[in-house]
Amino acid sequence: MPSLKDLKTRINSVKSTQKITSAMKMVAAAKLRRAQESAEKGRPYADRMQQIVNSLAVKADPSAAPALLIGNGSDKTHLLVIVSADRGLCGGFNGSITRQTRTEVARLQGEGKTVKLLMVGRKSADALRRELGDLYIDSLEGIQGTAVSYADAASIGETVRNGFESGEFDVVTVIFNKFKSAISQEVTLSRLIPAEVDSTQSEDDAGAGVSYEYEPEEDELLAAVLPRNISTQMYSALLESSAAELAARMTAMDNATRNAGDLIDRLTLVYNRSRQATITKELIEIISGAEAV
Amino acid sequence: MAETTQLELVTPANIMVQKAAEMVVAPGAEGLFGAMPRHSPLLADLVRGVVEVHENGKITDRFMIDGGLADVSGESVTILTERAENLATADRDTLKARAEAATGGEADFLNAVIAALQ
Repeated sequence: MPSLKDLKTRINSVKSTQKITSAMKMVAAAKLRRAQESAEKGRPYADRMQQIVNSLAVKADPSAAPALLIGNGSDKTHLLVIVSADRGLCGGFNGSITRQTRTEVARLQGEGKTVKLLMVGRKSADALRRELGDLYIDSLEGIQGTAVSYADAASIGETVRNGFESGEFDVVTVIFNKFKSAISQEVTLSRLIPAEVDSTQSEDDAGAGVSYEYEPEEDELLAAVLPRNISTQMYSALLESSAAELAARMTAMDNATRNAGDLIDRLTLVYNRSRQATITKELIEIISGAEAV
Repeated sequence: MAETTQLELVTPANIMVQKAAEMVVAPGAEGLFGAMPRHSPLLADLVRGVVEVHENGKITDRFMIDGGLADVSGESVTILTERAENLATADRDTLKARAEAATGGEADFLNAVIAALQ
């Protein structure tokens, strides 16, 4: 049975933990609002870019289409771009990315493919360094946070493009957490190269009977759009992931605060019980002492 | 007022401009072009340059863009660009400070904006 003093110390320590977690929750909630806003503001650009790529891709001549669109004909080497967070204490956020990466790498290697990893964010990079560290081509930190800049996304896009063009890898996929709502994130795999084309959507567009003029020619235009599209996709993945990270942290810290509250209640109950027990014991001692006289 | 076309200038960070215009002049890769209402559908690659918004026969707004894409249809002009600055509100000193802090393409673009202001 712990002494009253021990219990008191314990309660106080849980109380200060609760203060920290609730402060973290508040900070995450405030940042989330901003991150969500910028994720939403970024969507029109990404959506329209995707539409344009779709409508161009459907019309492109498959034999002459740029490699970024149809791939270079091989799928031996895969590059996975893993987007996790730089900081922890955000529930299953980094864990689920790490798990998905492990599964995906195992699956690809099982099929006899070569896998390379580009890690964005410290947490998953650290978690996987021991087992998959030799697959890393680079590991980037400090890109995420409240303000994701397009320049960072563009430089990752460039790295990916250069690697693809020099034949270091054939297929590029991004794994990131997509922001669904404040309480749920979804691990998403999205393919950058060859470009993912939603043919159903663009057929709808074409169905309207609009015949576009192109300036310059379609092929040249496509070649100009595709590299930009990669950076755009990367940017929207980073934005989504940042919003998802803050949402995950907010939920995790909310749970932690609630758990701390429960723990404090339980400990307070034990504390009061043992305080009463001590008082009763002392009374009995006094009374039986008095009777004995 | 005459017929208008809906201009949208979209950057990765936000929708920068959304307004009706009589004519939009954009710096296409193959030369400047003007888009008026009922323009035939056009998808054009853009280079670094100035987008001019015309209303009542006068230029009302000028935006410097750093290349991009223009999607023109009969009733709208959508310009997608990585960077854009409004030349009417841009202030040389702030731009200079930003250009010094920025690197690579961004600094290059901001210097071009400063040059365009002069």
